[in-house]
Amino acid sequence: MGDILQLVLRRLGLGLITLFVVSILIFFAVELLPGDIAQAVLGQGATAETVAALREKLGLNDPAFIRYFHWLGGALTGDFGVSLVSGERVSDAISTRFRNTLFLATYAAVIAVPLSIFLGIIVALLRNTLFDRVANVLTLTSISSPEFFLGYILILYLAVKTNYFPAIASLSADMSFGDLLHRTFLPALTLVLVVTAHMMRMTRAAIINLLASPYIEMARLKGVPPWKVIVRHALPNAWAPIINVVALNLAYLITGVVLVEVVFVYPGIGQLLVDAVAKRDFPIVQACCLIFAATFILLNLAADVGSILTNPRLRHPK
Amino acid sequence: MSNFVIVYYALLIAASCLAAYFKKREIFILVFTLTLVSFFMGIIGGQSALRFITTAAGLLAVAAGMSYAFREFLILITPEGVAKELRTAPLTAAFGMFVICTYAIAGIFAPIIAPFGEAQVISSAFAPADETMLLGADQLGRDMFSRIIYGARNTVGLALLATMLAFIMGALAGLLAATKGGWFDQFLGRFADVIMSIPSLIFALLMLSIFGTNLIVIVIVIAVIYSPRVFRLTRAVAGNVVVMDYIEAAKLRGEGTWYLIRKEILPNSTAPLIAEFGLEFCFVFLLIAGLSFLGLGVQPPTADWGSMVRENATLISFGELTPLIPAAAIALLTVAVNFVVDWMLFRSSGLKEM
Repeated sequence: MGDILQLVLRRLGLGLITLFVVSILIFFAVELLPGDIAQAVLGQGATAETVAALREKLGLNDPAFIRYFHWLGGALTGDFGVSLVSGERVSDAISTRFRNTLFLATYAAVIAVPLSIFLGIIVALLRNTLFDRVANVLTLTSISSPEFFLGYILILYLAVKTNYFPAIASLSADMSFGDLLHRTFLPALTLVLVVTAHMMRMTRAAIINLLASPYIEMARLKGVPPWKVIVRHALPNAWAPIINVVALNLAYLITGVVLVEVVFVYPGIGQLLVDAVAKRDFPIVQACCLIFAATFILLNLAADVGSILTNPRLRHPK
Repeated sequence: MSNFVIVYYALLIAASCLAAYFKKREIFILVFTLTLVSFFMGIIGGQSALRFITTAAGLLAVAAGMSYAFREFLILITPEGVAKELRTAPLTAAFGMFVICTYAIAGIFAPIIAPFGEAQVISSAFAPADETMLLGADQLGRDMFSRIIYGARNTVGLALLATMLAFIMGALAGLLAATKGGWFDQFLGRFADVIMSIPSLIFALLMLSIFGTNLIVIVIVIAVIYSPRVFRLTRAVAGNVVVMDYIEAAKLRGEGTWYLIRKEILPNSTAPLIAEFGLEFCFVFLLIAGLSFLGLGVQPPTADWGSMVRENATLISFGELTPLIPAAAIALLTVAVNFVVDWMLFRSSGLKEM
């Protein structure tokens, strides 16, 4: 037990270091600006006095690494500074939107994960049949389509032509939970389509890989019924790859969520990031990037820890 | 029951009976599944659903026929060695090659094919289609069809350029890391880890917010984001080649690093690298399309598929299909490249279980 804990802790430490390096990258990327933030915000026409005043206000006169630790300390306590455009506190702008994004991602994940694992196992069992080939072409098409394409097709057929669901996912505070699920169904469905395709293909590959191993063939040859081969012999070893697949695809949701939020005008953190990039509102861009990157790293970490816990072979690295 | 429905079912049932009589198992299963699906769809969606199935099946048949003809054509015009390989290509790969060829022609000869210029305003905003404008006008009154044709040149060209740059950077770094090893290898490896630990779209947004959105910045930023993938693959592939005896022999002969890379390692690791180039192109293409859709990629008035979707998105709320055509063009090219890459991977790995 002790060495498992040690392995997991070592992996967690590595994740923390990665996060630290990424935060350095995100902070110092802004330092690459020609001139500095004050110059970039005020533009060409600014006088030297206004630039100096803004520089004073933003604390740009301190050396970069002092500002970095200041920023990092603030970020750890949830304080990301002040927006350059609206003057609003970044944490206020982000907090509700972050919750909305988490809700959308969770909604999509709750549908997509069981569905895709189920379908992935079925496709793996029926491999090289007509059903498998059709599924292969369909998932490939879904992966290859940009998220906004799928989103607009859903809007066209499920919102404009038939009126089943609203095309724009606007939220209000006094909505019931059922109403909320109905309002956000189309964005969630778009994410489900993309992520399910990815997960299905990866689950299929993992299961087929497993079914090709000699001990499964041995079980079959000694006359074990097919369902028992799957449940008793294949599944215990399949958990590790499946957990990996799930975590990796949840990480993939993070990128997808940005485009989907813009398509459906969903008040989430992705939309905020895109707006901030267009307006060059650096504190918001940095905060959003840090949150996205941290979630991404965390999910990858979860994938590693999950596979260490479910696969005893990984506990004894050579 | 209209005539259409009766003829529809009669044809399907006759086809399945014929297939069963001649013992064509695959065709029988296909046609009979289609019949059962039609029963189900016909009850729910009525006649329009049946028409939809007919159109879809017809399109699929046309695509299959086209791919078959294209493969035969390629076999006839290529020399013996290549033709032999092409005969093993599945129809999906032939379809992919056909689509890529069409896009290449559209992109290269864009000014000749397109009836109007990409930024030329010729009518009122959102004018409907007529005989001069095949697909109608966009939000500023420019011809949609011409802009889609020019988009093949701009969007695909930009993606190709970015992919090539990413590939050259990644492959060169990977080959150097594999031949040199030591701290150089370690440093590049950790650097690649850091870049890959940030989601690519997020990283691209961060960089574009800092450097602004012009084409050179987009190409360089995307090349930096995607080169770590190429780096890892090249390093792994080249790592397997470097330990071979003939490399050892070449080293003992006193050949330099550059000679080793060019004459010994590269020729022995081309197959996986070409497949990776295809995959990489898909990622880059989708990322650029996403950025343009967000209004942060290719800037107007340049015709670009991603931004065209966004500019004309209001038409969708009137039930129009035209704004989706550029998006469909993106999806089609990505699918096509994936089909070809699938076949190449299958061929180079020799796997039967794919």
